[in-house]
Amino acid sequence: MKTVSEKISFKDTLTLQSGDVLSGFELITETYGELNSDKSNAVLVCHAFSGNHHAAGIKDGEKKPGWWDEIIGDGKTIDTKKYFVVSLNNLGGCHGSSGPTAIAAESGQPYGASFPEVSVSDWVESQKLLADHLGIDCWEMVAGGSLGGMQALQWAVSYPSRIKKAAIIAASSKISTQNIALNEVAREIIKKDENFHNGYYLAKGKSPQKGLKAARMLGHITYLSESNMRKRFGRKLQDPENKIDADVNYEVENYLQYKGEQFAKTFDANSYILMTKAMDSFDPARDFDDDLVTCLANAQAKLLIVSFDSDWLFPKEYGLEIQMSAIKAGINSTYIELQGDYGHDSFLFHSDRYSAALKNFLNSNE
Amino acid sequence: MNNQLQSIVLDWIPNQSMVIDFGCGDGTLLRILAEKKSVTGYGVEIDGEKINSCIANGVSVIQQDIDAGIQNFIDMGFDVAIMASSIQCLRRPRNAMQNILQVANECVITLPNFGNWELRLGLLKGKMPSSAQLPAKWYETKNLHLCTIADFEDLCAEESFNIKKKVYLNSRGSSSWLANTFPNLFAAEAVYLIG
Repeated sequence: MKTVSEKISFKDTLTLQSGDVLSGFELITETYGELNSDKSNAVLVCHAFSGNHHAAGIKDGEKKPGWWDEIIGDGKTIDTKKYFVVSLNNLGGCHGSSGPTAIAAESGQPYGASFPEVSVSDWVESQKLLADHLGIDCWEMVAGGSLGGMQALQWAVSYPSRIKKAAIIAASSKISTQNIALNEVAREIIKKDENFHNGYYLAKGKSPQKGLKAARMLGHITYLSESNMRKRFGRKLQDPENKIDADVNYEVENYLQYKGEQFAKTFDANSYILMTKAMDSFDPARDFDDDLVTCLANAQAKLLIVSFDSDWLFPKEYGLEIQMSAIKAGINSTYIELQGDYGHDSFLFHSDRYSAALKNFLNSNE
Repeated sequence: MNNQLQSIVLDWIPNQSMVIDFGCGDGTLLRILAEKKSVTGYGVEIDGEKINSCIANGVSVIQQDIDAGIQNFIDMGFDVAIMASSIQCLRRPRNAMQNILQVANECVITLPNFGNWELRLGLLKGKMPSSAQLPAKWYETKNLHLCTIADFEDLCAEESFNIKKKVYLNSRGSSSWLANTFPNLFAAEAVYLIG
């Protein structure tokens, strides 16, 4: 699989939904496969809340492959022998694109909490500039799970003529009250870390890792399903040799401690807050009198909406709501509910029906 | 669906209408309707394999159990609903019929006639009969509520379902004098436009 990693600087001025202005920005990208001569085989994959541009393959010196490696690759569901796959780290992220950890030109200091609030539609604007830069007039498909699925939906709304298919997986047109509530608890945990310093911890050489870790532990529970946790961990006690600390009793505790700790080492607290805010505020129908049907009226892309039965963070009713609005708007759209073993995280993993649906959708003609 | 039946259904469905096909299978009928009549069509299907065929066919499909209710499709703007050889697979066909006429102004229903003489003969021999329309063995069939043409038309009368058009087809899939004169005995399949 031909893989190219590139950091692209944009001179464009981006006026964000909040009214803030970014005069120039950087996006770090990874592409897989090759763009064909008429540039008609491009697929954009959008990452979820904590993902990044590294979607497929294994980087040198790393053990874990990209976040959608089970789906993207030579001969896989999104076949990189056939399609040119573009992945990026979104604005406000912390893996190389402009975000809270980047240095602000004006101050010479990391942005920290002063990095402007960005929204899903801001991401789509920046991705549109990326498409222009790559010479891609029309995506064959934009796909993503969770917050990534929201970007796919926003693409269909924002740029009807530049997207043929949108795969909206384990997502919704707006998140649930419960989901906002959980996000707020996570943000509160981070902000109460003594090293948070109102978001300007980098300038002080500090990092609110304890808060970030605890926030991720909470988040991680919501990505899994009860049955998955029961099957995987049950009430097994952690073996004493591998305990992360002495207070841990059960395997599940140890797992969450480990996962939280790993995450806190590689993620930025301000990015965490920014991403959750973007998720909370996503609501494309808001500009259309809260009517999703009107919102979708101009969309031309075919939609594939996928929900997973074990996903309690984005339950199937949310996927169905998009489907029903799409029907009223007369859009070619398909809704499927799949059996997923991993709760909300099911969208990350290959399963026969999931992959077949996504593959058939991508390869289907007008 | 045989050619004769297909051309009848195609004939009855207006150009550019909004169509919903309950039990759409692999989406073939909807694809043909989109090509030939420019309809905006949606299928409803529960079988995962068939749904994937629909997706490959470029046909819109919603994964849903019709027996669990189709009320969510009411007031969605459908002109015509189709139930092609699927009514007999439902747990509550009477209920589905009542709902389907709330979903769309008109409904096209096709059904295998269990009163057909070949099937009667099969039963006379003491075995569960099979035919081109009903090929499955008794232990494999998805049919729960098979009926005869007379039974179905009785239900329509009871429920005041207005049969606007109907065509009876013989076992070779064509119209014939026998099938039209004695449908309950000689038709293998019936197709109705109800509204």
